[in-house]
Amino acid sequence: MADLLSTGVSGLLASQVGLSTVGHNISNVNTAGYTRQTTTFNARTPEYNGGYYVGQGADAVSVQRAYSQFLTQSMWSANSGQSRASQYATLTASVNNIVSGSANLQTALDGFFGAVSDVANAPVDTASRQALLGKASTLVSTFKSLSSQFQQLDQSTNTQISTAVDSINALTKTISDLNGQIQQGYAGGAVPNDLLDSRDQAISQLSQLVGVNVTQNDNHMVTVTVGNGLSLVNGTDSAKLSTAPNQYDSSRLEVTGPGGSVISSQLGSGSLGATFDFRTNVLDPARNQLGRAAIAMTDAFNQQHAQGIDLNGDAGGNFFTIANPAVFNSTANKGTGSIAATVSDVSRLDASDYVMRFDGTNWSATTTAGVTVPMTGTGTATDPFKVGGLSMVVSAGAVAGDSFQIQATRNAASSMSVAISDTNKIAASGPLAATKGSANTGKATLGGLTVTNVADPAFNTPASIVFTSPTTYTINGVGPNTYADGDTITGNGWTLKLSGVPAANDTFTVKPAGTASGDNGNALALANVASKGVLDNGVTTVGKSYSQLIAQVGTAGAQANTALDAQQSILDQATAAQQSLSGVNMDEEAANLLRFQQAYSASAQVITTANTIFQSLLSAVHG
Amino acid sequence: MRISTSWGAQQAVNQMLDRQYQLSQTQLALGNGKAIQTPSDNPAAAARAVDVSSASAQNDQYTRNINSATTRLSTEETALTSAGNILDRIRSITLEGVNGTQTDESRQSIATELRQTLNQLVALGNSKDGQGEYIFAGSRTTTQPFTIDGLSVSYGGDQTQRMVAAAAGLQVATGDSGDDVFMSIRGGNGTFVTTAGATNTGSAVVGGTSVTDATQWDGGNYTVNFTSATTYEIHDAADPTGTPLSTGTYTGTSGTISFKGAQLNVTGTPAAGDSFSVGPSSSQDVFSTIAGIINAFEAPGGGAAMNNQVNAQLQNLDQAATSLLNTRTKIGARMNTLDQQSDIGSDVKLSYDSTLSDLTELDYASAASKYTQQQTALDAAQQAYVKMQNLSLFNYLK
Repeated sequence: MADLLSTGVSGLLASQVGLSTVGHNISNVNTAGYTRQTTTFNARTPEYNGGYYVGQGADAVSVQRAYSQFLTQSMWSANSGQSRASQYATLTASVNNIVSGSANLQTALDGFFGAVSDVANAPVDTASRQALLGKASTLVSTFKSLSSQFQQLDQSTNTQISTAVDSINALTKTISDLNGQIQQGYAGGAVPNDLLDSRDQAISQLSQLVGVNVTQNDNHMVTVTVGNGLSLVNGTDSAKLSTAPNQYDSSRLEVTGPGGSVISSQLGSGSLGATFDFRTNVLDPARNQLGRAAIAMTDAFNQQHAQGIDLNGDAGGNFFTIANPAVFNSTANKGTGSIAATVSDVSRLDASDYVMRFDGTNWSATTTAGVTVPMTGTGTATDPFKVGGLSMVVSAGAVAGDSFQIQATRNAASSMSVAISDTNKIAASGPLAATKGSANTGKATLGGLTVTNVADPAFNTPASIVFTSPTTYTINGVGPNTYADGDTITGNGWTLKLSGVPAANDTFTVKPAGTASGDNGNALALANVASKGVLDNGVTTVGKSYSQLIAQVGTAGAQANTALDAQQSILDQATAAQQSLSGVNMDEEAANLLRFQQAYSASAQVITTANTIFQSLLSAVHG
Repeated sequence: MRISTSWGAQQAVNQMLDRQYQLSQTQLALGNGKAIQTPSDNPAAAARAVDVSSASAQNDQYTRNINSATTRLSTEETALTSAGNILDRIRSITLEGVNGTQTDESRQSIATELRQTLNQLVALGNSKDGQGEYIFAGSRTTTQPFTIDGLSVSYGGDQTQRMVAAAAGLQVATGDSGDDVFMSIRGGNGTFVTTAGATNTGSAVVGGTSVTDATQWDGGNYTVNFTSATTYEIHDAADPTGTPLSTGTYTGTSGTISFKGAQLNVTGTPAAGDSFSVGPSSSQDVFSTIAGIINAFEAPGGGAAMNNQVNAQLQNLDQAATSLLNTRTKIGARMNTLDQQSDIGSDVKLSYDSTLSDLTELDYASAASKYTQQQTALDAAQQAYVKMQNLSLFNYLK
């Protein structure tokens, strides 16, 4: 007779395994990366008993994960995408917060130009002049404050990069270790479910940092690669990533592979890739745009200021100062050459950085992204290389392969300062004064005197305009030129408008104004710099370049938010699909708990029955 | 479809977090009244708001410029009104002075009064604006433009006019140089001046002069020579003894002499050999004019010589009064322009303000209703979560 007792015991044991698995599932209901497990049962091989087989009970044969490689892989990829979008949105939001904060450049610009106008209204009033210097330093500190907030953000990306690289290295080590343990786990023939879960969870964490490709090998190990196939985990080996300073700008970190090659641009999705993307596509353009505005402001205002005369009777000096473009030598340079760069034409200055390369005979210029840009000149002091509004003079010593990066605008805003502190040095007065001859008998009167080119060599030569007749005149004896009522007379770097009809022998004089302290000619022109197109071939004003920055940063922020919403819903769907298969449902587990509990009780009842039968037999024997 | 218990709970929590975030964003907006918290909320509007607020600040600055210019012009107007009154006073006492009943002594006392008015006029020329700058000094506003030494007044300013930016591309003069107002005044009738010969012995006096035909007047210098009490010859001043350009007769005690489109009204009886020279007007400052009158009154004897001198200066004085009036008209025109610009400025400001408020300010009504909706949504999510958490088979396994 088949052994009813052992059949009952097999049921007890099988139910115990079922109960354990249910318990395990319930315990891990909140474990990240846990995959629901199920127990499979088989009926034991029956015993042949003459004309029939008698069943011998059940065995729990395996505990399996409810797992789909496809769903899990989709979740990793969605994870990378979401993590990238989230990091990008967070970083872009901080740039947005910077420009919407209290340091509003436009307000500072308005205040500054308002103060210039106030000086024009009261050119000798020391209080107005002092107020102008005050507003100038507010403007400069606003530029600096924005610039330094951008710099801090740049530094914080460095921290994020090195933290991410440390985490990647820790995770790849974990994955390679788990590869080894899993291989051993399979050695006994059973599937090490929880180790597989751990490895999947580690890969999931890694995919948040960097987009990975995972391939399953026959030996149950996985190979993890990033970017263009750089292997991070191969069997039980893991490659170590490192950070290294940028070859040009040592203030920023790049990620290098095990061989030392820079792989920053290959990191694609994941939060680390987003950090690099943000730095290249949002932060750098914003900093460059800000620097460009600072350079434009300095250049345009200084140029106009130089055309005026200050209270000491001297020509206006620099009102603002700003540093020359930064030039970085590549750490790989073998030669001793160097490049000196200056901004020669603000109207052509753009927000790009450039890389200059020497191939042994020729220099070539590209943007940092590698796009070739046209360049003129030969690089000498008399004929410098000209690229995008920059002039570059190359000094000998470069060897083939040497390269230099030119950051024309990146840190310009932080190097800005007010050059004058003495209110007397504000050049509010125009450089020239026109006078009507005292013996004039005609009716011509002075109109406006406009300075057109202060650099004209004969600018300061007094000019005597003598009318040889009511319609002709000479300037310092040169002529005659014809004149009609309301004409403008053009001299050496100036124009003078007259109105009315002069008489023969009438004279007008244009000569340096000297210390005409109450003149406001140049102050008016300085106030006009606010509405003067100085950038983009004379189209964009300084103020407009700031609103462009706002638009640029705002658009990047809006796009990042939209992308984050999209990626979040992709991740939610992928997670829902994966969890639908692999997640633990408590109701289901409760039902299974009841099922196995009942099976266990019933098996126990079988044992009781077997005992009863045996007792019956014994009592029959004893009679 | 199976639902994973922890993912289901997580999703419900995520939903609550989302709604809470949206609610807090609306609350933030309601708190500070801004429609745009950061540029990413609405990049185009944020950039435009920067442009518009800058244009608005510029407009405000123009308004300030206009106010400062108006103040300066009013100061100038006041000074010129007083100067006009002084010229009127000078004119009336001068006319008293030429009256035949005056004696040397009475003319002397008139001259004394004239000296005082001259000083008053110089003081007006040295008027300052609210910022302590001389308004009639051109651009040399920190040095006193007019200095008086005896009867001679000199001008130390220049001819520069200060301008103000009243709008984009519109500059308006905020003053006139002392040279324009007091110094560069055409003498005579504005076209030519008549001077009596120093050795005249007759009683002929040139009164009013005028240009009857501007096309004939050529701006040359001429001399009217009386060959007798009734005949005269017109000579080119460069050739006083040559063939006369024309001749004429003068009868009685008054008449007109015309040549080359110029006309002189003469009264009294000339003596043979008396002459009057006629030449193009050059500028004469108002102070010299007054000084000329004073000199004429202070010289003893009176008579035709004094009359001729005073008449000539009275013409100059009229020119000065006209010039003052012209300047005041110009000031009026400028102030009109500024007023107009100021009106335009306030209209523009309104439009900027409304644009700016459309761009950046919160629509409270819609924000408040959004807030209520979001609150309801959060409330619903919370209740649903609690209800769902109570649904578990384990509740029945007791």
